[in-house]
Amino acid sequence: MKTAAELKFGERGVINSIDGSHPSSRRILEVGFTPGQEIELLSISAFNDPLAFSVRGTIIAIRKNEADCIKLL
Amino acid sequence: MNNVTLEDIPLITLVGPPNSGKTTLFNYLSGKNYKTVNYPGATVEYSVSRIQKKFNLDANILDSPGIVSLVPNSPDEKVSIEALYSHPRLGIPDIVIVTADASQLSRHLLLVKQLIESKFTVIVALTMTDLLQRKGYDISEEYLSKKLNCNVVKINGRTGNGIDELIRATEIELSKNKANKNTEPVMFNSSISLNELLSVYKEIEDIERAVVFEINGHSCEPNLLGANKKLNELSKQLNNIPKNKIDQTTLKIDKILLHKYWGLISFFIIMALTFTSIFWFAQPLMNLVDQFFGFLSTETISLIGDNWLGNFIANGVIGGTGAVLIFVPQIAILFLILGILEDTGYLARGAMLIDQPLSKIGLNGRSFVPMLSGFACAIPAIMATRTIPNKRERLLTIFIIPLLSCSARLPVYALLLAFLFPMDRSWIAGLVLAGIYIFSIVSSTVVASVINKFSSKILKEEDNSSFILELPTYRIPKLKVVATNTYHSSMTYVKKAGTVILMLSVVIWFLTYFPNYNPKVETNNLTKEKAEQLISSERLSNSYAADLGKFIQPVMRPIGLDWRVGVSLIPTFAAREVFVSSLALIFRATGDNGALQTSILKEMRQAQITGTNQKLFTTATIIGLIIYFIFALQCISTLAISRKETGSWRIPIMQLVLFTSMAYVFAFLAVNGLRMLGIS
Ligand SMILES: Nc1nc2c(ncn2[C@@H]2O[C@H](COP(=O)(O)OP(=O)(O)OP(=O)(O)O)[C@@H](O)[C@H]2O)c(=O)[nH]1
Ligand SMILES: [Mg+2]
Repeated sequence: MKTAAELKFGERGVINSIDGSHPSSRRILEVGFTPGQEIELLSISAFNDPLAFSVRGTIIAIRKNEADCIKLL
Repeated sequence: MNNVTLEDIPLITLVGPPNSGKTTLFNYLSGKNYKTVNYPGATVEYSVSRIQKKFNLDANILDSPGIVSLVPNSPDEKVSIEALYSHPRLGIPDIVIVTADASQLSRHLLLVKQLIESKFTVIVALTMTDLLQRKGYDISEEYLSKKLNCNVVKINGRTGNGIDELIRATEIELSKNKANKNTEPVMFNSSISLNELLSVYKEIEDIERAVVFEINGHSCEPNLLGANKKLNELSKQLNNIPKNKIDQTTLKIDKILLHKYWGLISFFIIMALTFTSIFWFAQPLMNLVDQFFGFLSTETISLIGDNWLGNFIANGVIGGTGAVLIFVPQIAILFLILGILEDTGYLARGAMLIDQPLSKIGLNGRSFVPMLSGFACAIPAIMATRTIPNKRERLLTIFIIPLLSCSARLPVYALLLAFLFPMDRSWIAGLVLAGIYIFSIVSSTVVASVINKFSSKILKEEDNSSFILELPTYRIPKLKVVATNTYHSSMTYVKKAGTVILMLSVVIWFLTYFPNYNPKVETNNLTKEKAEQLISSERLSNSYAADLGKFIQPVMRPIGLDWRVGVSLIPTFAAREVFVSSLALIFRATGDNGALQTSILKEMRQAQITGTNQKLFTTATIIGLIIYFIFALQCISTLAISRKETGSWRIPIMQLVLFTSMAYVFAFLAVNGLRMLGIS
């Protein structure tokens, strides 16, 4: 299954689920990455990590390994 | 304010997600001037104040660090949770005002829901409605209030809109509370499953759909506060509208500032401009201030006479504090530029851009903002590390912050650079100053990486390392906000000059003037100027300071300096700025030739190492001194805050020993290395 970390620059995706085994998963949910939300990869930093996504009308930067636990539809 | 009154009147606690406008509202209600920044995580400690009389509500208000949910993730969030449930002095809040950013309702209602569930008396203060309106939407507060079953008030803490309504709502809730003894809040169950969290979000999404509406046509007034039926129709219609769109200007700016390559280039340009401009912008202002103190000190002597009293006032008081005060322009500009940068919303981007390199050396992208504020002062900077969730990364950030050149070092650098680069070449001084800042960044990161590699003993904690940061909407900096912040930071500096530095200056003046204040020297065949010089050098070499200096002399010689500089370095452990005052006092800068700094520099240029005709201040020794100041930990308050924030003396003692010995060794290597290269 595709994850948010695999999105290309400017690509959109809809969240299917969050991998609950990742230690950051609760925080990822709390800041608004929830199933059903559409996200877009807005920016990749020069070192390829972190990534910035649009979610719920705001921009949130997260590390690649954290984006990896956001599974897309 | 004593504890009794604190407990007697109601306590209103402000909580809310990061960057939602808590401190702005707190400042408006209390008349205080706490720092507001367009960065999530500006406030890291709670503060309490009485609500201003003009609002007619006798209560205390408490500002707290931003929290995403009631399950804390980092030390700053713990401060807020503790303030809510178990504040040792203030107890449980009577009212909790939750700020929620109207333009991000679906994210910010999570905390509101959790607080209501925990049985706090909640009032929702909707902030940033101006931003939502700019996007073309508005919120019905009545309907939201019904849905949440609590009071909802739209406010703007920057303009004061809606504050009266907020006060009224608070009064009503307080009187209700009095009638039926309010229930104790229940601890939030921090182990609720992720599924439960999701079902809360479901509810929130339903609420959002029902209360946010598009501003139709030209009218900005919501015209639908009518029947529920009508609202429901509207909300159905809204389902298809992408109301969560991001501010378009922000997206456009980020196309460049967060661009894969341009992003990093702009980052370096922004940082470099910040530091070079301090020197450049300050130069013209500085000359005025400088002239003023020179004039003041000369006038005093001619008014009171060249006796001990005249000398005390002209040198001890005016010279000592003036030497520090002439750098007020630099300090003000430093704070002004940092303030503008903070208010734009760029800082969070900077943090994202350098998260990867910083995490390689054991730090975190979230270390960036504390490190940057380290250029202003290490104390708030060390406190700001509370926003770093990982303990190890936080301790390492605290460890290196004293290496970043704080504003107290700015006067020292400015004076020493003015020595190296006279007026006509002051544009080079600006570049070199930026170079010093960059050097201090590089050396702090090198220290961090070395410690990270070799000492698992110093920093034991291993935890999940994480970087999740909201990038706020760009805003045009509010001039008033930035100006007040700058004013207050500069006033703190001025006050320091008027207290600690004045005191130390007087002590130094005394030590350098007595006991042999009226030395007998043969002045018959000398010009007036030569005679004065002889008298003051005779006075100094028999002074108490000279007695003290004998012990320091052996330490100073290897770095090319003598006891007079050594004596000037001692009081820097109380305040680094005093170094310039001490130099002014010891080298008897009088401001004769108009300006104070010019006079200090002139005396420094003439100074010779005692007993030789070798110049004391040379390119090499000045560079050595700059290097010493870059590394040395000469600040007792920094040690105290480091002790408080790390919970033991281990880290502060290591900082003191390591950084001060590095300072000495590197200064030694620089001075002697330069001399070997033929640069004296
Ligand atoms: N446009 C707009 N800006 C606001 C409003 N209220 C606050 N701000 C700005 O939003 C930013 C954040 O405000 P703060 O008061 O520092 O937010 P905070 O909730 O204390 O943030 P933390 O302490 O980081 O949790 C600042 O730049 C404020 O000037 C508002 O109603 N409208
Ligand atoms: Mg705040």
